[in-house]
Amino acid sequence: MALEKVIYRALEDVLGPENISDDPVILDSYAWRSGLVATPVKFVPRFEAITLPKDTQQVQAIVKLCNQYKIQFKASSTGWGGYCDPNGPGVIKIDLRRMNRIIEINEKNMYAVVEPYVIFAQLQAELMKRGLNCNITGAGSNCSALPIAAHQGIGHLSQSGSYGERNLLAVEWVAPDGEIIRLGSLGSLSEWFCGDGPGPSLRGVIRGNTVPLGGLGVYTKAAAKVYHWPGPSTFPIKGVSPHYHPSEIPPGFMIRYFSFKSADEMTEALRKVGESEIGFILMGFNTAMVAGNKATNNNEDLELLKQFTKEVQGPGFLLIIAGNSPNDFEYKKRALQQIIDETNGKSLAAVEDPQNAGGYIWRFIRVTGSIRETCRATGCFGGEVGGTDVFGLMRAYIARSSKIKQDYIDKGLLHADGTHPFVQSIEHGHQGHGELLVRYFPNNPESAKAGMELFMAANQIAIEGHFGVPAHVWSDAIHDMYGPYACNYTKWLRKIKKTFDPNTTAEASSHITAKE
Amino acid sequence: MTLEDYRSDMEMCCRCSYCKFIPLERVEGFQHVNVCPSISRYNFHAYAGGGRMGVGVAMLEKRLEYTDKLLEVVHNCQMCGACDISCKYAMDMEVLEPINEIRIKCVEDGHTVPALDSVVNSLRKQGTMVPGAKAKREDWAEGLEVKDFTKQMTKVIYHTGCRTCYDKDMWKVARATINLLQKAGGDVGIAGENESCCGGRAYQMGYREDFLRQAKQNMELFTKSGAEILVTGCADCYHAFKVLYDKFGLKGDLEVLHTTEYLDRLIQEGKLKPTRQVAMTVTYHDPCHLGRLGEPYIHWEGEKVPGQIRVFAPPKEFRRGTYGVYEPPRDILKSIPGLKLVEMSRIKEYAWCCGAGGGVKETNPEFAKWTAKERINEAESTGAEAIVTACPGCEQNFNNAVRENGNSLKVYDVVELLEKAISKGGH
Repeated sequence: MALEKVIYRALEDVLGPENISDDPVILDSYAWRSGLVATPVKFVPRFEAITLPKDTQQVQAIVKLCNQYKIQFKASSTGWGGYCDPNGPGVIKIDLRRMNRIIEINEKNMYAVVEPYVIFAQLQAELMKRGLNCNITGAGSNCSALPIAAHQGIGHLSQSGSYGERNLLAVEWVAPDGEIIRLGSLGSLSEWFCGDGPGPSLRGVIRGNTVPLGGLGVYTKAAAKVYHWPGPSTFPIKGVSPHYHPSEIPPGFMIRYFSFKSADEMTEALRKVGESEIGFILMGFNTAMVAGNKATNNNEDLELLKQFTKEVQGPGFLLIIAGNSPNDFEYKKRALQQIIDETNGKSLAAVEDPQNAGGYIWRFIRVTGSIRETCRATGCFGGEVGGTDVFGLMRAYIARSSKIKQDYIDKGLLHADGTHPFVQSIEHGHQGHGELLVRYFPNNPESAKAGMELFMAANQIAIEGHFGVPAHVWSDAIHDMYGPYACNYTKWLRKIKKTFDPNTTAEASSHITAKE
Repeated sequence: MTLEDYRSDMEMCCRCSYCKFIPLERVEGFQHVNVCPSISRYNFHAYAGGGRMGVGVAMLEKRLEYTDKLLEVVHNCQMCGACDISCKYAMDMEVLEPINEIRIKCVEDGHTVPALDSVVNSLRKQGTMVPGAKAKREDWAEGLEVKDFTKQMTKVIYHTGCRTCYDKDMWKVARATINLLQKAGGDVGIAGENESCCGGRAYQMGYREDFLRQAKQNMELFTKSGAEILVTGCADCYHAFKVLYDKFGLKGDLEVLHTTEYLDRLIQEGKLKPTRQVAMTVTYHDPCHLGRLGEPYIHWEGEKVPGQIRVFAPPKEFRRGTYGVYEPPRDILKSIPGLKLVEMSRIKEYAWCCGAGGGVKETNPEFAKWTAKERINEAESTGAEAIVTACPGCEQNFNNAVRENGNSLKVYDVVELLEKAISKGGH
């Protein structure tokens, strides 16, 4: 269906003619499928129009017009995930690209306020000049720095820098009915330092287990807690793409990849690293991801995977230590050595090698390797994303799911990158999170089907094994699989949706609808 | 190759938006993070490298008809290749090649834009991409004692390029180049009135057949001359001779050098000695076609290996901008006594484009100026008095922007500053 002229003109009056389009050329560029959980369908449904608001007032005006004319909207920032797409006709896109300001970096109270199209690379670079750092979503520093922009916001720095849900402070929200709601301290003091008050505390409502993925209005500004950064104001990078590397490893930084003979020993080491609080970054990468991170092309990726697979003892994790002083660094190194001795860990030589170590450190801190690790192989990735719970539980869940993967690899339907899942700890081991990377060619229907079957089988494991609700629960269908096994949380989610979106204006195909 | 040949590359696009930003490892702050002028100016995703991949697939799938909007999106791109380099930090896929093939398909299907037709008509009739040129091609060399390589053999060919020949303001660069080459004892010749356009810009505008005609004609002239080296000061010509001619198997053994490469070589060999002080703080702008797009062409023919990872037999090496010409111009500037080089934020393989390329100056001069202004502002933020480049297209576009904006920034070619530093005797 084409957008009625009267609606288009009303939107154009708000935005100006340069900032709205319903031309098929523009629409089809947004309709190309995402590389995240892609299917053989190349183009998703077209939006009816694309809008480019410049500020909160324009977002509000768009949302109010959508309510008035009974059309739906979906907002996104960098727009990577498939959840940024509509599920059918009758939806307009709110592309937040022009809302790209860092509103404030408060060094004293250690938070940063951003608009949706500030990317993590920008925010982190500005923070580092001030001796601060932020958690970056594992998807990469190409993504929005808004702590509620997409998914869970779990990333490489979550060991010491927590994640989206916990770092989220005050938020400015254009609710689905067009009301601007200012949460936390912003609601009463026009300050950003707290998400829970003084002022309305609706963090649970707007966020939930994962963020609503566009299904509950538009978050136009948000504050995130930021952390101490013990490194230089800029990393001394030299070389030409894609062969960047630091001219020196800044003092106080060390990186290792440790593998272990068993998952239990790995977990024990990980627990001890957390207990001693020596880890700056701890990612439970498997060798495939360590290989992918360094390799500058797929051939090199395969060679490194082969090499690393031979060298490791079993499951492992990648660890970066950052000393706040020479003494602190020495202490952390000694503590680590003791832990590794006790748990029989083995360091992977290629990561420890000073020729490689600096590059690894910077790629993991800036989080630039994610596309190499995920989409380069086939242009697409998907798979299991565990929830956020006790580390051991999450490890057990994702390990069970990973066993199914081998069958599909043996059938030649998935990229043979091993079946070790990747499991990471959060906040020094207080929580855990596991993912099973699955790479396949979406244009091959059998391969895409294998990816989907694996996904559904893992859902069954989560339910039957009482592993809680994973973080990949997008859509009514998947929510409804889990609701009955998790206190019927879906009833509450739907009540929230119905209350804040009485006209079902916020397109919620990746969230939950208000159906009874 | 056709657009269809790049289908699998385009279908690799995962929508990550790397194409919109400089390589993320190099981001040093909030400013200067954007790398693509087109998406930066027009904001809709269709104007980004990734968006163009979607548009390309949509064209192949016949989801889109030819419309004015399609042609506007297709041609509002400088073909600077920045998206290609940023994407290939992570991915194994071509980006700029299919973008070029989209243009070629438009032309081959009979859908062109008047501004570019005018330029290409000039090429067909007069052998130049400068329609309505008043000067004669050889006028710039008046009074110089320089050989005509079409009449007597020389070791080195100096190809001046349309933008220099037909713009009196640029003649000084060509004359300075000849002076320097002769002072270094070089056996150099020009074609004078027989010089013809390299055709490179025609190719990037989508007119492949016109490019090929020019390329064959030029190579016939060059081969007949017996020269060993071709030197040019135009980055577009350099890219055409070195990369595009090679791509189509036309380059042969001719060594193609940019003037900055050749002059740097002469300095290294002690044949040119910059001794005079040029007290100035400058910043250097990497022309796209000399820098990231100036690396050698890599011939490859093969196919994807069956299986669930995109690898090829034989292995395909992608051009990622790694081996572009970045250091020779900088080495020349560093060799000049008293001259201080300060760098902008976006340099080398992730340099921001001057705005003139890809036919944008002809189809959308406002966008060309907007892009140049962005660069001028970036250059001024370094504290430099001058922006130095190595391409007449960049120099012209920067000069226009500076004049229009009233900036105090001076604009030079590297050759002009080197000439100032060389004593009259040459050593």
